[in-house]
Amino acid sequence: MPIVELQHVRKAYDTKIAVADLSFRIEPGSMFGLLGPNGSGKTSTIRMMIGITVPDSGTVTLFGQPFTRASLTRVGYLPEERGLYKKMKVMDQLIFLGQLHGLDATTASKRAHIWCEKMEITDAVLKKTEELSKGMQQKIQFIAALLHEPDLIIMDEPFSGLDPVNAVLLMDTLVDLRDQGRTILFSTHRMDQVEKLCDNICLIHNGHVVLSGAMREIKSRYPANRVALNFEGDASFLNHPSIESSKNYSGRAEIKLRDGADPQALLADAVTKARITRFEVMEPTLEEIFIEKVTAEYGEVNTGSKVDA
Amino acid sequence: MHNILLIAKREYLERIRTKAFIVATILIPTLMAGGIFGTAYIADKTKSNSHIAIVSSQQPLSTDLQNELEHGKDSQMVVDVVPPTPEIRSELDAKIREKSREKGIDGYLWITPSTSTDPAARPTFDYTARSAADIVTNTTITDALRVVLLREHLAHSGLQPASIATLMAPVEVNTIDVGGQRGSSRNSFYVAYVLFLLMYMVVLLYGMNVARSIIEEKNSRIFEVLLSTIRAEDILAGKIIGVGGVGITQVVVWILAAFIITASPLAAHIAGATAMATISATQGIFFIIYFALGYVLYSSVAAALGAMTNSEQELQQLNMFLMIPLFFCLMMLPVITSNPSSPLARLVSLIPFCTPLLMNFRVSLSMPQPWEIALSIVLMIATIYAVLWVASRIYRVGILMYGKKPNLPEILRWLKYS
Repeated sequence: MPIVELQHVRKAYDTKIAVADLSFRIEPGSMFGLLGPNGSGKTSTIRMMIGITVPDSGTVTLFGQPFTRASLTRVGYLPEERGLYKKMKVMDQLIFLGQLHGLDATTASKRAHIWCEKMEITDAVLKKTEELSKGMQQKIQFIAALLHEPDLIIMDEPFSGLDPVNAVLLMDTLVDLRDQGRTILFSTHRMDQVEKLCDNICLIHNGHVVLSGAMREIKSRYPANRVALNFEGDASFLNHPSIESSKNYSGRAEIKLRDGADPQALLADAVTKARITRFEVMEPTLEEIFIEKVTAEYGEVNTGSKVDA
Repeated sequence: MHNILLIAKREYLERIRTKAFIVATILIPTLMAGGIFGTAYIADKTKSNSHIAIVSSQQPLSTDLQNELEHGKDSQMVVDVVPPTPEIRSELDAKIREKSREKGIDGYLWITPSTSTDPAARPTFDYTARSAADIVTNTTITDALRVVLLREHLAHSGLQPASIATLMAPVEVNTIDVGGQRGSSRNSFYVAYVLFLLMYMVVLLYGMNVARSIIEEKNSRIFEVLLSTIRAEDILAGKIIGVGGVGITQVVVWILAAFIITASPLAAHIAGATAMATISATQGIFFIIYFALGYVLYSSVAAALGAMTNSEQELQQLNMFLMIPLFFCLMMLPVITSNPSSPLARLVSLIPFCTPLLMNFRVSLSMPQPWEIALSIVLMIATIYAVLWVASRIYRVGILMYGKKPNLPEILRWLKYS
């Protein structure tokens, strides 16, 4: 039984189609990535999943049942932008949000303290939210989404505003939760961030599905024809016939090979001209796959006018 | 219901704890008390207590005037009577310039007898003052002179001093209300007026607070978290109850303070009859009823306005929808004051948007018919229901629209969206 299932969901605002015929399912205990550039319809999709808006057509199924508000107590939602009361003290805020999700005040307070310790923000619990840094607020928002121990955790751009250390802390926490059997939905335009996290993805562009399925399977469809290369000295080997395109960031080159080309030949040529400190053959990144797919289907990658509603 | 109470509780507690609330709740009664006692005190103090000299050879005019100025109804001056001698003017001028108040004088009045043979001809009065702007002393002297001259004239006409005293005694008018109870028209007018202003202020203030708190939530995007668990209607209801609770708390504190201030022996002692404007229990009860209804009505409108806009600035452009009915009520005040039961007064006090202010005003002035009160309450509840229905729809859709100002057709379309 999938935790979330969307079937032919469609949502239009005035003349702008935010989501056009979107279908996907999220299996329990998996980490699912809903990916796409700004304005591709990610937030609109999430809003329909949690009943903030209603789809124009199509069905949303949560926990194997048609959508009801009662099932929302099993969902934890981290919105894209921080949604906290600025003037409220952190602990009061967490308790209030916990109560809204059906917890009693004591349980909410107890869990909030445990979480604050885990997220290393114990010092901040008595402060007002507006006195805290963006990253701290993001952590509080994160805790607020998890207090009621939801089965489905929805994270809309969870890492925005976080430094790398805290982003890793959040990521590790989410991986732990997944290992405990929770289902996690990621929505982000930073495809590189979730590439190693997600089991399944759905890549959307302008409200249409571009790519969807298991991450490993998608990656395996694309040959390992990318080379990352660090060098010192003469860069003329970048004109080697096996190279389709390359970018040179003063000593660090990103190379795309021609179909069927042998990276060994390139390495042999490069060694004769420059001093090579790194040579790595890789699969294309998700971002590269996305750009390739979209370019193939729509011509240019159009980031689109932002629909934020 | 659980969620409505949660939202209401949060709104209430967060607001009650703010410094602004505490300051307003304490400051207003303090100002009120200060105002009442202050006016009484100042009224007492504005009795002129200047020290002047009268230069006159005319008796008994100058001694009568001295008496009137020293012990009259509105004055407590110190008056010296001096005969007009050639050097007196420069002496008095020197005294006026004197810096110390004890030795100097504030001015002198020079009375020159009339040279005309006409017995009705009056002397000439020239007042030289240290400050030409001392209007109080000037007016007091003018009034005293008029009284003295009138009394003198009456005495000349052969009236007995006792008859003169009776003639010149001040007149008092007692106001008796329809129930036959003796009251003071000033008193009931002041009470009604104070209640009106209090309600006007609080309804406007807390109505706007609902709108503001919606905009704040829109900007902080907290509503996205809220809407992911509870319904828009619950948020709206919770907000109105919570913010309204704060308003009612404040008003109750104010009314209690008013009771204490006016009932305290101190008030009676300092201000005498001036501060005796007390609120009766009936006035208090109707005030609370109409306040609650008026508040819910206006804050529902405000909630709809808040849901339609994205910022305080935009809200300010729309808040005329709140202000216009309130201003209309303000304009209707004279109509009701002059005749609380006129057809026009009855009509406007039944308009739901005016009822909380105007019907309450009428209750304070003279009790309307029971059916009028009942009808006004029924009409208000019906209107509240309708406005809430519309507001919750606008709220549900409007809250998700940012960056874009809705136009009228869009708002109408939102009403159909369920």
